[in-house]
Amino acid sequence: MMRPKIITFICIIGYLSVVFTFPQVFSPQIKKLGVFIPAIYGILVAANFIACVGLWYFKQWGVQLYVISVFAKLLFYILSNQLGFGFYLNLAMSFIFIIILLRFYPKMNQNL
Amino acid sequence: MLWVLFKESLFFAWQSLIVNKLRSFLSLLGITIGIFAIILVFTIVDGLESNIRGSIQSLGNNVVYIQKWPWDFGPDYPWWKYINRPVPKYYELDELQKKCKSTEAIAYRMGKRRTIKYKSNSIQNAVVAGISHEFYKIKNFDLTSGRYFTQNETDAGYHLALIGASIAEGLFPNEDPIGKEIKISGHKAVVIGVIKKEGESLLGISFDYQVITPFNFARYFLDPKSENADPIIYAKAKPNVSNAEMMSELTGVLRGIRKLKPMGEPNFALNETSLISKGFDGLFDIIGTAGWIIGGFSILVGGFGIANIMFVSVRERTNLIGIQKSLGAKNFFILVQFLGESVMLSTIGGFFGLLLTYIITALGKDVIDMDIGLTSTNIILGFTISILIGIISGFIPAYSASQLDPVEAIRSN
Repeated sequence: MMRPKIITFICIIGYLSVVFTFPQVFSPQIKKLGVFIPAIYGILVAANFIACVGLWYFKQWGVQLYVISVFAKLLFYILSNQLGFGFYLNLAMSFIFIIILLRFYPKMNQNL
Repeated sequence: MLWVLFKESLFFAWQSLIVNKLRSFLSLLGITIGIFAIILVFTIVDGLESNIRGSIQSLGNNVVYIQKWPWDFGPDYPWWKYINRPVPKYYELDELQKKCKSTEAIAYRMGKRRTIKYKSNSIQNAVVAGISHEFYKIKNFDLTSGRYFTQNETDAGYHLALIGASIAEGLFPNEDPIGKEIKISGHKAVVIGVIKKEGESLLGISFDYQVITPFNFARYFLDPKSENADPIIYAKAKPNVSNAEMMSELTGVLRGIRKLKPMGEPNFALNETSLISKGFDGLFDIIGTAGWIIGGFSILVGGFGIANIMFVSVRERTNLIGIQKSLGAKNFFILVQFLGESVMLSTIGGFFGLLLTYIITALGKDVIDMDIGLTSTNIILGFTISILIGIISGFIPAYSASQLDPVEAIRSN
């Protein structure tokens, strides 16, 4: 099945968010939070990127990874006490995207 | 089974890197430079920060500086409000010592650069300070030889001096300085102690280039009424008294001494070391952010380089991928093979970047005489960025390779 336009849109937003969040991995602000915090944040950014690639290829594992990475990222923000405007925007957008993705989930490819 | 697949695909990735040595070297160079730029800036900033914080710590957390000018690092410093204030006076020290109950010690210090001579040796621009007796309770310094002034010596203004380690090395290269007579702006003083070497301080507050004399002797060559002598009264809080409590008491007593009206503006500043820390926080944030932006661009370029080389690699080995798949290789095997190659490339690049940073900081440490070194935090950060850039730049080529149709792939040239 062809990839719906809404998923293409979600993927583009996802790729753009990776472009903006990747430099934060080695930003002084994240570095100050702890020795392993940049590494943990880096894993989350990479997971988000890989999930977007999965969605681009219309794969079910893309949705699964996307949901996991969103929840892990939210948990990270809560634990590191970064609850600004960005957090709530991220929260709202992620939940809307997850609802859309779950609608298309049964039609997606099950293979790797 | 998964582990065997993983190990085998990494072995394939390693083989491919070895076969294309020049290409691998050129593509990892981008990451090497990127990691080098970022980690070098972070290392230098960390080194400077720890040096300055150490210097601030040595000023004392529970010490308040009574001065004419407040410590403020903002762009809108209202200097016109402070210019006509009087400098702290020596007689105010006596009053403060009598009236303040929250202080453990109160001391006076003034200082200016002067030339110090001993026989034919001389040191120019040494800081000569005139102090009151309790100065040793405020500032922590150890003596390598000799002793501190007695109460009588400081009160009577005996012609005595304590000298810093660098002054001792410069004036007395082959002699013991104790008991020798030095000249401070033409006035003779006997050296009674040598202060232990402290090393370079970015705030310029090391005792190494200082000569300390009793206040009543220093009046011969320093003017306590002049702002050039930078007179300061130090007040140290008692162990269970907070700085805020002590400052409140000091404000009341000083207002009384200077006969200020109850609602009038104070004509003195009570400065704390925390003000310096706050001032430097902003500076370090700017330096760190500048390094982050410069290094970030280098990393970005390095990442594009790796992504490009991975696409070329997939294109070159398309028929090999087809053969592997037709022999039963799973998508996961192909994916890990190419992803492993890009992660290996970037990790090796990151390793060389860190190695380069280590070499440069080790060489720089000797030149600038400051403790700058790669910290475990920066090493972990360097490897994290390298692995991450390897995953992000290599995933799309690797995944597209894993999705190839075996028949189509074998047919391709």
